[in-house]
Parts: sequence; structure tokens; C-alpha cells
Amino acid sequence: MPTRNRVKILLFGATADAAGIREVEVEVAEGSTVGELVDSLKAKHPGLAGQKLLFAVNEEYADPATPLENGNEVAIFTPVSGG
Amino acid sequence: MSDFYELTTDVIDIVSVARRVVPPECGATVTLDGYARRFTRDKATGEVLETEYLVYEAYEPMALKEMAKLIERAKSEFEVSAIGIVHRLGRLEIGETSVVITVAAPHRRDAFAACEWLIKELKRTVPIFKKEVYADGEAWSEGDSVASA
Repeated sequence: MPTRNRVKILLFGATADAAGIREVEVEVAEGSTVGELVDSLKAKHPGLAGQKLLFAVNEEYADPATPLENGNEVAIFTPVSGG
Repeated sequence: MSDFYELTTDVIDIVSVARRVVPPECGATVTLDGYARRFTRDKATGEVLETEYLVYEAYEPMALKEMAKLIERAKSEFEVSAIGIVHRLGRLEIGETSVVITVAAPHRRDAFAACEWLIKELKRTVPIFKKEVYADGEAWSEGDSVASA
């Protein structure tokens, strides 16, 4: 059995609306990346596909190549609009 | 004099925020009062949209971390003594304050420069999200630039 890692995904604002969820836990294959996680999420929630997305892992900005580890919290959001 | 950075769902009292940074070695603070605007030009169509109210939400723990980083960077890049940032979340009526940034410095030029830099960076890096609610719909506002990793 290949090892599976559990990660928590958080969505905010436009991404939460597009996916219809704000938080979900998923299992990913060991060695998979933020980009692969996002691709699988887009396949499940097509509303996310047309959006420009930013990523964070454990509250720090990350890029699609960032590898995922067990217990990571991955946030996916559109370019921020505070101020 | 300690810096501070906060998120709140309460109405922000600008004066009390500004008066929290009055170090004795300084003589002035620069305070930005960002507030909810009624009229926004749609970036794609150029159409002017009339907003009824705003809703802000945040990835709160990361937003606080990013605000702390901004303060640290501003203090290393500008000659300033103390910085406070308070951002409102939840529903805001038109004209209500969404963000206050207050900067105390020995010389005002540095305070103005740091305050301008802080709001520019806050709008680029701090994970806070604004929804504009119109009479006939709503839209999440999208920032212009991409935060660097």
C-alpha cells in the first residue's frame, strides 16, 4: 500500500463560493504537490478552473511545486483584496 | 512603544488607534483611514457599479502573520518608531472604516513613505477578501497583483 497523506484544504471568498465549500479534508499520495492537489480540486469543482489562484501551506505562501506533507493546511484563494 | 496589528468585527475608532502610537521621541504620526466606497469602476467593462455594502473575510491566522511581517519589513526599510494596523472584517456600511494604518516617526517624511508602502503591500499580500454587494447582485473583488512566494 502506498502511503497516503491527509491534508486540510481551506477556501475563502471567491474560491469558497465557486467550490461551494469552505473546508475539506482529503487524502493525497505521498510526494504529491500543491499543484496536483489544486488540479484534482478543479476537476471536482469546475467553478475554480477559470480563476487566478494563490496558495498557502501552513499559513505561508507556496507555489504549485511545493510538496505536501501529512497534516498540512492548504489555503487556496484569489488575489487578495483587503484595504 | 509597541507595534500592533489586529483584525476586528467592531467599528474602528480611528482616533484611538492613532493615539496608541505617540512615542516621546517622535512628533507626528501619519494615519490612513481606508473606508468603504460606494462607487467602483468595473476593471473589465469600465462600468461604474454602485455598492450597497461590503463584506470582508480573512484567512485570519495567516493575515495576522502577514501583517506582522509587513511591520517588520517597514521598520527595517524606513526610519519609523511605531506602527499600528487594524483591519475590519464582516459587514461594512458605505463610509465605514475598513483599515487604519498609523505610523509614528521622528520625521514626517518617513512616516508618509512607510504608510504608503504599508497599504500598498497590505493590498498585495495580506489574505483578506472583499465582497461588494450591489442592489442586484454581488462580486468578490480581485486584487491586481500576485503575492510573491
